[in-house]
Amino acid sequence: MTAGWHVSVTWPEVAQAARAHQRRAVAKLVTQFEDPRPAAAAVRREVIAALDADGARLGRVIGLTGAPGAGKSSLVGALATAIVADGGSLAVVAVDPSSPVSGGAFLGDRTRVRFPPDEPRLYFRSQPSRGALGGLAPSTFQVCRLLARLYDTVIVETVGVGQSEIEVAAIADATFLVIAPHGGDEVQFMKAGIMEIPDGFVLSKDDLGAGAERAHAQLRAALRLSGVGPRPIFRTSAQRGAGITELAQVWAAISPGGLTAREPAQFARWVADEHGRAAAARLNAAGGAAAYLAAHGGFDAAQLAFAGA
Amino acid sequence: MSAATIDRSAPPVDEANRVTRDAPWIFRTYAGHSSPRASNALYRANLDKGQTGLSIAFDLPTQCGYSSDAPIARPEVGKVGVPINTLDDFHLLFDGIPLERMNTSMTINGTAMWLLALYVALARERGVPEAALKGTTQNDIVKEYLARGTYIFPPEHSLRLVAETYEYCVDRLPDWNPSNICSYHLQEAGASPVQEVAFTLANAVGLLDLLKSRGKINDAQFARCVGRISFFVNAGIRFVEEMCKMRAFGALWDQVTRERYGIAEAKYRMFRYGVQVNSLGLTEAQPENNAWRILLEALGVTLSKNARCRALQLPTWNEAMSLPRPWAQQWSLRLQQILAYETDLLEYPDLFDGSPVVLAKTQTIVDGANAELARVLELGGVRAAIDSGYMKSALVQSMSARMARIGTGEQIVVGVNKWTEGLASPLVGGDDGGVFKNDPAAADDARAALAATIARRDPARVKAALDALVDAAKSGANLMEPSIECALARVSTGEWAGALRKVFGEYRATTGVDGASLSLDPARTAKLRERVAAFEAAHGRRPRLIVGKPGLDGHSNGAEVIAVAARHAGFDVVYAGIRLAPDEIAASAVEEDADLVGISVLSGSHVELTRELMEALGKAGAADMPVVVGGIIPKADHAVLAALGVRRVFTPSDYQLVEVMEKIMDVIDGSAAA
Repeated sequence: MTAGWHVSVTWPEVAQAARAHQRRAVAKLVTQFEDPRPAAAAVRREVIAALDADGARLGRVIGLTGAPGAGKSSLVGALATAIVADGGSLAVVAVDPSSPVSGGAFLGDRTRVRFPPDEPRLYFRSQPSRGALGGLAPSTFQVCRLLARLYDTVIVETVGVGQSEIEVAAIADATFLVIAPHGGDEVQFMKAGIMEIPDGFVLSKDDLGAGAERAHAQLRAALRLSGVGPRPIFRTSAQRGAGITELAQVWAAISPGGLTAREPAQFARWVADEHGRAAAARLNAAGGAAAYLAAHGGFDAAQLAFAGA
Repeated sequence: MSAATIDRSAPPVDEANRVTRDAPWIFRTYAGHSSPRASNALYRANLDKGQTGLSIAFDLPTQCGYSSDAPIARPEVGKVGVPINTLDDFHLLFDGIPLERMNTSMTINGTAMWLLALYVALARERGVPEAALKGTTQNDIVKEYLARGTYIFPPEHSLRLVAETYEYCVDRLPDWNPSNICSYHLQEAGASPVQEVAFTLANAVGLLDLLKSRGKINDAQFARCVGRISFFVNAGIRFVEEMCKMRAFGALWDQVTRERYGIAEAKYRMFRYGVQVNSLGLTEAQPENNAWRILLEALGVTLSKNARCRALQLPTWNEAMSLPRPWAQQWSLRLQQILAYETDLLEYPDLFDGSPVVLAKTQTIVDGANAELARVLELGGVRAAIDSGYMKSALVQSMSARMARIGTGEQIVVGVNKWTEGLASPLVGGDDGGVFKNDPAAADDARAALAATIARRDPARVKAALDALVDAAKSGANLMEPSIECALARVSTGEWAGALRKVFGEYRATTGVDGASLSLDPARTAKLRERVAAFEAAHGRRPRLIVGKPGLDGHSNGAEVIAVAARHAGFDVVYAGIRLAPDEIAASAVEEDADLVGISVLSGSHVELTRELMEALGKAGAADMPVVVGGIIPKADHAVLAALGVRRVFTPSDYQLVEVMEKIMDVIDGSAAA
């Protein structure tokens, strides 16, 4: 099958170019992994097969969430610099809400993060949520399957403060909640009962003096009160570059490759979202998601089979 | 409340009740281009024609703190104003112009302290006493964050620079206005009169609160600082309302300075303001009509003696088409001279005192602005309103609403959405098409002059001056004197700003597009959304647009409105904001697999910036990605852009947002089918 925008190129060839971090190739593949139509599932199967045959290993997926203005973008920019300086590669998937009226969306932009434009080991892609709840777009997991095969680290950045916005934890190897000193966020999080979900906390903008101290104390108190065990708190200042290296080192120690283990749960979710409750019952009757994936030879083939069945 | 009544101390007539003429306001023309030498010739010619003050336009690199040899500066050198790299350039710029007899206004903000330091250094080298210097540095950083975009550092550091210019000038340059609080750009960005007055006063209050809280000046000095605050105001086409707005401004300023700051001296409570009449309402269609618009807008700020401007600069009739030519500037200057010297305007006391209509209208604005001012102060003042995006969002919303009103015909713009048929204007004939062309060699001259200065200067003195600047930046000492020493040592604009960037960091402001919405023609919008849905069915996703402003020009209103309208139509929009290198926009476009890239350029650098964008896209293997360009783009350049591969050019005559979106969808559909 040829790769659409360029008649003489096949998808495995595009996959190979993407392995070399050619940005246009990566971008064209991401578009295929975002496409909900069955034909795209066939492309995905071909691409994943080509990448795996080429020896691609799964990188780690890290969830980063927090309220608007918590400092996620500055943090991502500083971490990207640290990761690249350390010889690693990084892709960022930033999810933004779609307008319920027009369906259109304002998407985050890589320039907001200030990536150097000519660094091939960095890739930034925004996704409209397309009405999905939970802070993720319907295709976020799919795109992670691709990008984790191309980059050492994939950051999934979502916006939100409530219970429903932290579903990123379901697809990430580790999830961090970013909190700005002045937001009073920690109280909100405690009320929302999500203190136990993140693997760690990042107290951003740690250059605001007394405010940062107070926020740190409040966060520790909130963790204690909510009965959650001890969780690491990282204090960073993107402006001063403080705490960034430490956080990057912790991330580098997170073992990658957990994505495959989450495929059954994500497949079940896809079935329920796209095909409804009756289809979910049918999947269960057929032995559940894990068995279905095994029987049909992987995620994309299973999607094709289920859509055709 | 009694504080808001309209009562000014100026006597309506003199004691003998004779008919006497008031002194006219200062006549200025906002001017500067190409090089210090060319601009100097222009200033001298304008002064010979009867202009009574200078208003200096700087090019964007100078405004943003880059020297002419910086890569990002390259396409913009000498475009919208004069490039100033070192003190040698200032010597050329003011050659033959006596500083001690000149009133010089500099439209400069992010680097205002630097340009003031250069001016003081120039005076020192010429032997002119600093105390004799008269003029204004615009130096209003708040509105840069909100509307104009030539900020450099994060707000707290920028505001420190503003405060330090006051603290330096209060004793040494007593006749200098260290800053101009600008309402101009708020109106340009779409503010209603009430928003304009309220946000402007909130801005002034923020500055005065800062000066007070820093504790570097005593009460007497503070009162003099209040007296030095001047305002830079916009005058729109609704000139009766505009006149009332000026009366409301005066009343409210008197109230704020008395009640909030306890200023006893009436002269320090005077609302002193200069005006540039509105450029936003000037049209590209039937451009000759703009001459009448400019005249009527000038009346709003001159008719009422008690609310008359101190200085007036008029745009030119063809400003929606290109940067002004000298002849066009002369024509605007003549208007001022006729108004001041031929008519009997200056022979009377205030014409409107006692008019119940004017009083009521003024009171409405006073009341509305008082309420809005209270709201902004309650939200934490102007600083918090920048950080939260409250003001920016309000402005983007107002602007989008204005565009929608013009689109539906609810707001009439003659020659644009009504009476569009007309005879061709002979004014746009001639071999230059009536528009100004920059000398492309000017940028080379600027770079050569800079290189010559660098070769001549004493490197040890330069290093010592920059080190002292950095030390003061870190220690919190006033930066004026170290900046003056930098100027004397022939440090360049880019070096001065670069040293401070390292200490303060750089800032990216909120874009204000989040949460903005607008209403367009519902039937056409529905149709457009159907086309978007058809595209989604065919391609598995919504059409994706990258909108951004390459280069240093920060006038982002147009790009923001397009971004808002595109989302309204159902597109997924990446709004990349301002001050981007073309390769940054290209990288975003490629990584996002965009269906179309839209850039907006108002600085006159559209050809260079488009060429750089096209090259960057080509290098990234995306030469096929469709590009459209919007901005103030002369007709003659449309073919040039088309030859570069641009699919469509939008100009101010494309005011129908829904139509712009339809044309963008045409380009996307055409490109997807190809």
